[in-house]
Amino acid sequence: MAAVKRAAVLWASAATLLLSLQARGDNQAFDAVDRAQVETLRADVASEIQLQAYDLLDELVFAWNEQPPFNADTPVVLADVSVPVGFGSGLQALIETHFASLIVKNPRSHVLLAHCPQCTAVVVRSGAKGTVISRGSQEPQTLAQAGASTGSRHALFLDFEVEGASLVLRARITRLDADLLIVHAKVLSTSSGTPALLRSEERLKSANEARQEYLDALRGRSVLAVPLHIGVRTYAPGGNTVGAPAFVWLSGGVEASLTQKRAWLGRFTVGATWSPELHVGWMAQARALRLLSGSESSLTSPDIYGFIGGSVISIYGKNAAIFQDDLPNLANLISAAQGNDPQAVFAAFAVGLEIRVKNRIGIGAFLETLPTMTNANAIGEYLDVGLFAFQSLGVEASLCF
Amino acid sequence: METLVFLVVMSFVIVLERTSDPSAGVLRGKQEARNLECQRISAAEAHARHPVQVPEPPARATGAQVDALDCQRLYMREGERPARDEMVLSSLRRDVAELVAAARAKVPHEPPLVWHVDAFYPDQAVAAKVAVAARTHMAELGLTVSDRVPLLAAGDIAVLGRLPAQQSYPTACARYVDQGVLGDDHVFMGLMIVDGREGQLHAGLCRRGQWTWLR
Repeated sequence: MAAVKRAAVLWASAATLLLSLQARGDNQAFDAVDRAQVETLRADVASEIQLQAYDLLDELVFAWNEQPPFNADTPVVLADVSVPVGFGSGLQALIETHFASLIVKNPRSHVLLAHCPQCTAVVVRSGAKGTVISRGSQEPQTLAQAGASTGSRHALFLDFEVEGASLVLRARITRLDADLLIVHAKVLSTSSGTPALLRSEERLKSANEARQEYLDALRGRSVLAVPLHIGVRTYAPGGNTVGAPAFVWLSGGVEASLTQKRAWLGRFTVGATWSPELHVGWMAQARALRLLSGSESSLTSPDIYGFIGGSVISIYGKNAAIFQDDLPNLANLISAAQGNDPQAVFAAFAVGLEIRVKNRIGIGAFLETLPTMTNANAIGEYLDVGLFAFQSLGVEASLCF
Repeated sequence: METLVFLVVMSFVIVLERTSDPSAGVLRGKQEARNLECQRISAAEAHARHPVQVPEPPARATGAQVDALDCQRLYMREGERPARDEMVLSSLRRDVAELVAAARAKVPHEPPLVWHVDAFYPDQAVAAKVAVAARTHMAELGLTVSDRVPLLAAGDIAVLGRLPAQQSYPTACARYVDQGVLGDDHVFMGLMIVDGREGQLHAGLCRRGQWTWLR
């Protein structure tokens, strides 16, 4: 699926590029498309960086909760938040907001944030050595003045940088005096390949505890599940005027994940159908499902499974007449009137798609081929693929417990 | 017809199984493969990092050792940042740790000194990252580090800017002491690239007017 998506994006990009070049006929068009693609990519990456940055901030404040940098509540000026080289002020604003939220919700850290508009302002200072133009956060005198005006004697600096596949947070607290001594420093890094833990701001946990919660959530997805389905099967009308009725099926059974990633599932169900005066039937069905929407099932987004399966179906009653080789004739109807309803037992092989949400709710559609029904005149074909034809079309909704 | 269907189905299965292969091939271009950072780790560690994708290895495993290739996409793809900046930033932690260790080895632990750090790099944003990385690492190690950067007068900088790097830093070090910017209990560590064409960080120490190259 990823390869197909990638190919589609490439084709779309190539088409857009060609159209742009034809329309404008200069290199500016290429630059614009190129920039747009880079911006899209950057937005995609930024969203991941944002989560990882939040994770590092959570870890930092959790560490402060455990070992506060100050013994008592201390006002601290958030002097500077710097984002990785190449990223802009949008990410910076998100990080500042999340950090402020964390500090407010975690008073055990003993850090109180103080507002510092001077820190981000451009400062010009002239002296005997010359004129210095810099941001307030890089100017000791400005920091000292900011501290005096806010009652704070400490400034906090948060620096994020991308180093290969890791994001590194360097946090330091500086005392606002002539020497600007660093009184607290901490370096935190995302370990390569580990997803963001997304802890709750109110009840911060250590990385190990958060990871254990994540594993527990995964283990909550048992290897075995009990699915319940309600579905409808329709049969293509044949050349005769007698149309096949739709059959409503209720079925349940057991489903097993055959791999750790839930990429392959096996399912066995039994079902029943009943229509007053018309039919009663049962069915045994087995299916193998393959995940198509990724390499592992997702807890947050819908999964698409493709499946193949086989079933044995038995129908007893007036509606079973349509599965017989001959059309219902007068003899059949008289026989039915005498209480001898027809019965049909046949096999069906299905292929279909199912969309599952959080591995709990699903809807699916399938086509079935009935190899023994090629001579049933009341049943036609929905789709003929050469080797075989699909005579039945069905939809179903399912709940997994 | 049956043969054709069989071949199509088998090709689909093979392609499906290769979607997770990080190497360049049919489904992944060379450029995309270059944007991955991969490391080979044990199956147990792979399970700890990716419990969904990697099953728990059996407790009584015998036979061949099974390992995993853990790949993650680089945050900044190749070409998004200038090559020299990317080289310096991607190995910043390791380089800074090495240089700080070398600096500590050159300076006696007693009496306690106040460390000042600055970086000299053509791009100011990268220079700030390098300096912050060094300061934070030193402070985390327990050294007394100041955020204050010793400054020289504009005239000094104008002269120093015309000197080759091998002379400018020792001269600047002497000027720091002459101007009273650095006292005896202060030590300055500078990190820089000496030649604009190289991507390796160098460092030097300035103490009591004496400049010492670390790398």
